[in-house]
Amino acid sequence: MGNVIKKVVVGLIVGGALLGITRALDFPTVFQLMFFAYALLGTAVFLLLDAPSLKPVGGVKAVGALVVFYVVLCVVYIAGASLWPQYDPEDEKGKIEKILKPKRAATELGKAEELIARAKALDEQAKALAARIKALGGDQASASQAAGGPGTPPATTGAASGDLLKIGEDQWQLQECYNCHKLKGEGGKKRGPELDNIGNLLTVDDIKQKILDPKSWMAEGFEKEYEKGKMPDKYKDLMEEKDVVALASWLVTFKNTSVNTPKPIKKK
Amino acid sequence: MKTWQRGLLGLCALLALFGGAAYAQAPGAPPVEFPYTGNRTAVWIVAQLHILFAAFILGAPIFVVISEWLGYRKQDPRYDRLAKEVMKVTVILYSMTALTGGLFIFVLLATYPQFTTWLINHFFLLFAVIYPLLFIGETILLYMYFYSWDAWKGNKKARHIALGVVLNLMGTITLFVIDGPTSFMNTPVKAEGVSPAEFLATASLWDKIYNYSWMPMNLHRLVGNVTFGGFITGLVAAYMYMASKKEEDRAYYDWMGFVGNLIGVGALLFLPFMGYLLAYELCDYDASICPYMMADQLSMFFEMQGAMVGLLFLASNYYIWLSMKRIEGVERVRMTVFAPMVMIAIPLVMGKAWDMFPVPDPKSLLFLLPLIGLLLLGKFVPWTVSSRTVIKVGFLMVIIGDAIWLTPHGFVPTGAKLVADLELPSDWNFLALMPAKNAAAFTLVFVTVVNYIIYNRAINQGTIVWGKIDFVSQFVLVFLAFTSIWTMGLMGAVRSLLRKYFHTYNLLPDFTPESFTPTLSYSAWWITAITVAFYVVVSFAIFVTLRPTEAKAHAPEGSPAPAGAK
Repeated sequence: MGNVIKKVVVGLIVGGALLGITRALDFPTVFQLMFFAYALLGTAVFLLLDAPSLKPVGGVKAVGALVVFYVVLCVVYIAGASLWPQYDPEDEKGKIEKILKPKRAATELGKAEELIARAKALDEQAKALAARIKALGGDQASASQAAGGPGTPPATTGAASGDLLKIGEDQWQLQECYNCHKLKGEGGKKRGPELDNIGNLLTVDDIKQKILDPKSWMAEGFEKEYEKGKMPDKYKDLMEEKDVVALASWLVTFKNTSVNTPKPIKKK
Repeated sequence: MKTWQRGLLGLCALLALFGGAAYAQAPGAPPVEFPYTGNRTAVWIVAQLHILFAAFILGAPIFVVISEWLGYRKQDPRYDRLAKEVMKVTVILYSMTALTGGLFIFVLLATYPQFTTWLINHFFLLFAVIYPLLFIGETILLYMYFYSWDAWKGNKKARHIALGVVLNLMGTITLFVIDGPTSFMNTPVKAEGVSPAEFLATASLWDKIYNYSWMPMNLHRLVGNVTFGGFITGLVAAYMYMASKKEEDRAYYDWMGFVGNLIGVGALLFLPFMGYLLAYELCDYDASICPYMMADQLSMFFEMQGAMVGLLFLASNYYIWLSMKRIEGVERVRMTVFAPMVMIAIPLVMGKAWDMFPVPDPKSLLFLLPLIGLLLLGKFVPWTVSSRTVIKVGFLMVIIGDAIWLTPHGFVPTGAKLVADLELPSDWNFLALMPAKNAAAFTLVFVTVVNYIIYNRAINQGTIVWGKIDFVSQFVLVFLAFTSIWTMGLMGAVRSLLRKYFHTYNLLPDFTPESFTPTLSYSAWWITAITVAFYVVVSFAIFVTLRPTEAKAHAPEGSPAPAGAK
């Protein structure tokens, strides 16, 4: 028992020391606790090393012990996994829907579904009209239709330049460009150049060319990344022409000279 | 297993295969909708179950043959008995592999008919001819190998071992072949300047199979299967040890558990590096996979993996510790004082090496020279410490290795949500980077190797008392099997999720509403459920195959045949 107490005391001292050191080094609280937990894990392991031997059991007792052991493992693993920060799938669903919508529409299934959806909508409109005619009479129904009732087709608007930039910004998020490129102080893991001053270095067409063919331009100082083909050569297949143009048009608006965006070198 | 049972299972498998193919021909068949789980999870469950069974039936025969050969060489009947008992379980699980394989095809066709038909069309020769032939060939060889065990003994033993080698060759080829379409889904063939769809149209079958991640996946799965087979053997031994009533049986199953663990751990040592190679190739294929895997949506899956691998190494070293405790004369075993010093230095030295050589480079091995020099110096300097001290320092380093592996860059599910309150201070960010993680993995491996060296010295200098191991060791074996299966399930999910919202990455999108990244918690529930389902079947297989053997212990066909007996 004395040995156990000694180990627990040593474990707590080590844990306390780790807690103090990490606090002094300005580690966030969650990391301080994590380092303390490592000390507790170590204590548990060293307690286990010198624990007295377990007496053998057999028959029903052994089966019971096994079942309890399995239940404990299941609970610990599920609880352990649930304790880590959880990614919210809702963050992704909207993005995926936006990316896949045009692709889905282009497929045979998509076309068929669109036709079915249109037919359903028309059917519902017809039913609604029939109900109104029945309830209000033909003249009133016609007036309602003229005033913009449920049967009125939605007004179409052209894509203004503001819309184009909005689409470009959306594409930045959808294609997760921020994973490799820093912009407005956000994102980037040093895999690709920071882009805050790209508008002073490349034109819309140049940026478009780079997105569609990553080997067409190389950022100065990113020779290794260029050689390794770090920028995926997939956007010509994943993105539509108008989306690439929108993204390039949005990027070209960034002209912050205080940021050292590396000089692009034309390769093709 | 009786002939009619095997026939029935074979019929089920064939029905599933041809029924599935016929279903795929039905024009415009709408996908079914699985209640409660949804389609994607339904496929996940069946696929993972199939892979678990397949991993065992491909991994186990590798060391079964080695064990049989060792029995033949050493004239030790224990090896032959181990090989045969594991083979009995393998035969039962082989049927389950076929059954779940057939079910997998059915579920896949019912839930994703367009994609499945598309994939079959691209690998038609493989799915329609090569794979069935290999599967049939392997079935024939497996049953021949098992049923010729007692007939081909004595001077025919070498012939039987050769048959086992051929069986393993066939199994490995089968694995490599089916890895073709699997890896293709992650990294389909591509060429610079050509769209994937255009390139695919002109690609040969070999081009499709020999994609970026094919060979890394082959190696990862091959080593993983042996690890898995070893730990399941440990599980078999633990169950039988608990059920044993005689001292001699307890001694045998204690020994079997040790061998199973040795095989499992031996292969486990290579697994982190095989995993690294696979991840490296995936990142090389498409740089956007890397942040998705390590920094964003799946980053916490990797945290969980770190925790599980850490537990596996802790448990396997704890088993060595328990094994040492029952060796008489272990206290006499000593080691150079430089051994624990090298253990302590390993994470620092290897962290620096990986920092300077992130890509594997022979020059990085130069970093090991001073450490090897220290160990050699120990031969001439008489300063020694007890084996217990070395192992305890080893445990300390395993905990430190686990801690380094586990420490994340930030406590957030994605990099986008990173804030200062949850982020590692920039001066300490190196703890979250790959060089530190690799150094941690190397530390775990190194300590485990040293512990086995000590164990080997202990059994050479002392006397091992089989059957007298601490009973808690049996729970350690059970734990190792359960944890390795759970980790396989976790990493299997990760590999599949890397395709993001595609069935085949960048080629064929998954238009269903389920094509998003699930939470780790949701995944953990299903991984646990799959592990438990697999465990129930394996436990049943062990019960039905090995219990009768004990009852017939004195029957000539059931007794362990001495390898050299005629």
